[in-house]
Amino acid sequence: MKAKSVGAVLLLTTLVHWGCKTPKQPALGEPLAELTLEQRAQFYEGKKVFQRVFEPKDGLGPLFNGNSCAECHEAPVVGGVGDEVEVHATRFIGPNGCDPLFHQGGPVIQQKATPLLQAKGVDKEPVPPGATAQAHRSSPPLFGFGLVDAIPEAALLSHEDPNDANGDGIGGRANRTIDGRVGRFGRKAAVATLFDFNAGAFPQEMGVTTPLSPVEETINGAPVQPDTDPAPDPEITVEEIEKVTAFVRFLAPPPPQVLTNSQDQYLAKRGQELFGYLKCASCHCPKMQTGPNVIRALDRKTVALYSDLLLHDMGPGLADICLEQAHPSEFRTEMLMGLRFREKFLHDGSARTVAEAIERHDGEAQKSRDGYKALSNEDKKALLKFLGTI
Amino acid sequence: MKHIFWLITMMVLGTRALCAQAAEVDKMKADLIGQSMGGREKCWNFKSIEQSKELAIKEKTENPQKRVYKIALQLQAAKATGKYAAKARVEYVKTPTGWKIKHVGLLSLTKAE
Repeated sequence: MKAKSVGAVLLLTTLVHWGCKTPKQPALGEPLAELTLEQRAQFYEGKKVFQRVFEPKDGLGPLFNGNSCAECHEAPVVGGVGDEVEVHATRFIGPNGCDPLFHQGGPVIQQKATPLLQAKGVDKEPVPPGATAQAHRSSPPLFGFGLVDAIPEAALLSHEDPNDANGDGIGGRANRTIDGRVGRFGRKAAVATLFDFNAGAFPQEMGVTTPLSPVEETINGAPVQPDTDPAPDPEITVEEIEKVTAFVRFLAPPPPQVLTNSQDQYLAKRGQELFGYLKCASCHCPKMQTGPNVIRALDRKTVALYSDLLLHDMGPGLADICLEQAHPSEFRTEMLMGLRFREKFLHDGSARTVAEAIERHDGEAQKSRDGYKALSNEDKKALLKFLGTI
Repeated sequence: MKHIFWLITMMVLGTRALCAQAAEVDKMKADLIGQSMGGREKCWNFKSIEQSKELAIKEKTENPQKRVYKIALQLQAAKATGKYAAKARVEYVKTPTGWKIKHVGLLSLTKAE
């Protein structure tokens, strides 16, 4: 009898411990914790489509930037960064107008062509004649983007301060897509959802047509010659876009960097304090919360994205293209999530170090940048140590 | 007398065809709500009938299981986000409950204002 009671207590203790245990933090490139078996299967199915290498016979091109999603999101694991830098171009019609030049092949200007198109004398798409500016764009890491997609619009809008009502020198406004939704993805926040982004990435980055975009990208508005495009349109299905979206949606955010050395721990803690003191966190908002979601792994979770997902004026030195409501000098606050896995910095990959990227902040970030520049070397080292843990 | 009879017949038939197309256009505007076409920056998610203006059916092909329309329309969500001229391919499939949109494909998009 006594043995039975002890056994029951042990069993109960084990069950309580198992039930209360925090899910194990997934490693980089792994799916979110708390996914169902079916959702994990969707993640791995989507990963296959994400890694699928397209050839001209199955849809690549005629114009394209990469031959697979993973070509631009490959390091240090699938879903990460790439070394490609692409070209975008639009027409700014001051003071507030912007033409994305869809009819002239904008805003993504493909930098490669298949052999059949090259044989016609075209090796890339030229910058459209109507463009007032062009921009370079690096590929961001996609870790945790499903959580970002699940943040309610209201949470984004609650951070807006377009007229700087609180007088801190920092504004912030949401971009709107052409159909009026709140944007959050892309360096100018001109895309509303992960699905929309992926649905556009197939035709615009790989030249792969879909039922939602059933015609090939043009050469500055002129259709490509049919004999350069051997694959029948559409070249992939909506289900394949959904699979890729499931992969990105369920891709876990980077695990926290664990510092074992007490000196490093001290520096990182000091750096985190400085991040707040310098008001970096006013735009690089450390955490946001996802809303209610039918997917448990995305339901009311905290996401350490280090962005408010709003547009801020970054000054004339960084200004490039307009996009929807975003002026040339306005950029969505870059998400710092996964910063330690990047090798190039800023939206165009033109900064070689995090320190250089900070020093090139301007506009609304001028005070923070000046504050950084005025720090002692030890404090700069502390801030950079902290940023190296994100 | 004979000419007048034919003229009236032609006018009635013409009016009926126009009314049928107007009804088809109105139904399509309603069916488009909730559908998306294109992607990335070049994406339109249909939220209301009012967003689709001057919708015209340019071509229609049909078999017992599928109807495919090529349409032209003006799109505007809000004054601030501008007006766009679009061409699209709308594919319907027959279901036990009637014709349903399967996909809307964006063929071209041009900023008009």
